[in-house]
Amino acid sequence: MLILGIETATQQVGCAIGGHEGVRASFHAAHKRRHVETLVPAIEFVCRQADVALSDIGAVCVDVGPGLFSGLRVGVVAAQAMAQALRVPVIGVPSLDLLAFPVRHTSRLIVAAVDARRGELYYAFYRQVPGGAQRLSPYRLGTPEELGSELVAMGEDYLLVGDGAVRYPELLRELTGSDSGGPATAYPSAAALVELAHPLALREEFVPSWELEPLYLRKSDAEINWEARTAPDWAVGA
Amino acid sequence: MIRAATKSVDDTRDLAAEVAALLRAGDLLVLAGDLGSGKTAFVQGLARGLGVTEPVTSPAFVLVRTYPGRLPLVHVDVYRLDHLQEVVELGLPELVDEEGVAAIEWGDVVLPTLPADFLEIRLEQGDDDDDRTVAFDAVGPSWAPRMAALGRAVGAWAVEV
Repeated sequence: MLILGIETATQQVGCAIGGHEGVRASFHAAHKRRHVETLVPAIEFVCRQADVALSDIGAVCVDVGPGLFSGLRVGVVAAQAMAQALRVPVIGVPSLDLLAFPVRHTSRLIVAAVDARRGELYYAFYRQVPGGAQRLSPYRLGTPEELGSELVAMGEDYLLVGDGAVRYPELLRELTGSDSGGPATAYPSAAALVELAHPLALREEFVPSWELEPLYLRKSDAEINWEARTAPDWAVGA
Repeated sequence: MIRAATKSVDDTRDLAAEVAALLRAGDLLVLAGDLGSGKTAFVQGLARGLGVTEPVTSPAFVLVRTYPGRLPLVHVDVYRLDHLQEVVELGLPELVDEEGVAAIEWGDVVLPTLPADFLEIRLEQGDDDDDRTVAFDAVGPSWAPRMAALGRAVGAWAVEV
């Protein structure tokens, strides 16, 4: 089954196409956060390079974050639209899982951290298991200091990946024997997304396209107190 | 707090254009005031002051519009939203982070979703139909040191607090 992967959770925009034989073609651009302008031409490009017609695509997978809200919306809406138009199922994969997957061969603790802006990070911890990386923690939102103190408390060598690692290099100074993946592992890979989604597709772990939602991690349950939205006195001639 | 008075919609725009000179990347402006009090007019003046050449219209239905200028201006209106989560999902922090200036109409009703560091601009009806008072209040660290400069910038419109 051929799978189209869409990746827009960070400053980078990417897509890839592949199946049981691996990834046939992928595209990534990390310049200036141009998700809307870049994504659809990029999908056309990888399909052409991979000799794939849209009608050959059997499933669409998408990075659902956490990450940049503006990017996630573009990716998730594109995935939903393509899945509905092509009548194929969708698969959502979290950005932090995607960051950990390519470095799964390290024996160290893997820390995936995405820059959430305004001095915060989305992060999770992973460890190598046969065939992949297993997540050890919930997806969290916190400051670099909070992540730093968790790392000190865990007291083991780690490998830090994601654009959070690039933005806050001081996290690394907390412990010796630890390392940052640096720019090469800063962004989730659309190729890793297709690779990760393939076994999920074979197991039919799909979500209905209308239920696919970005993983925002920022929550607020309250309704807006809209007393102010009632017309002001002077507008009703009081 | 700094209080100013304007005599017309154009006067409000002129006042806002002076405020624009003080804006820095990452600034958040919370616009408060009833329907028709001049929030959109204020943002139009800000846009002019930032060198935005496109016409600025109300974002009430598209929620967010971004205009290129000396600093990108992100114009937000949350009037149409009912839940704070909808405001959260606009991702306002990332829209302004390091790059632009955000002006949020009705921002005062969604304060729990905003970083606690902004300039509140409250517009109220004055004595005559076209009169408005404009009150500026610094909340958080980034505006407090700029209030003296803001007072000078809007000096021509200043009234006693």
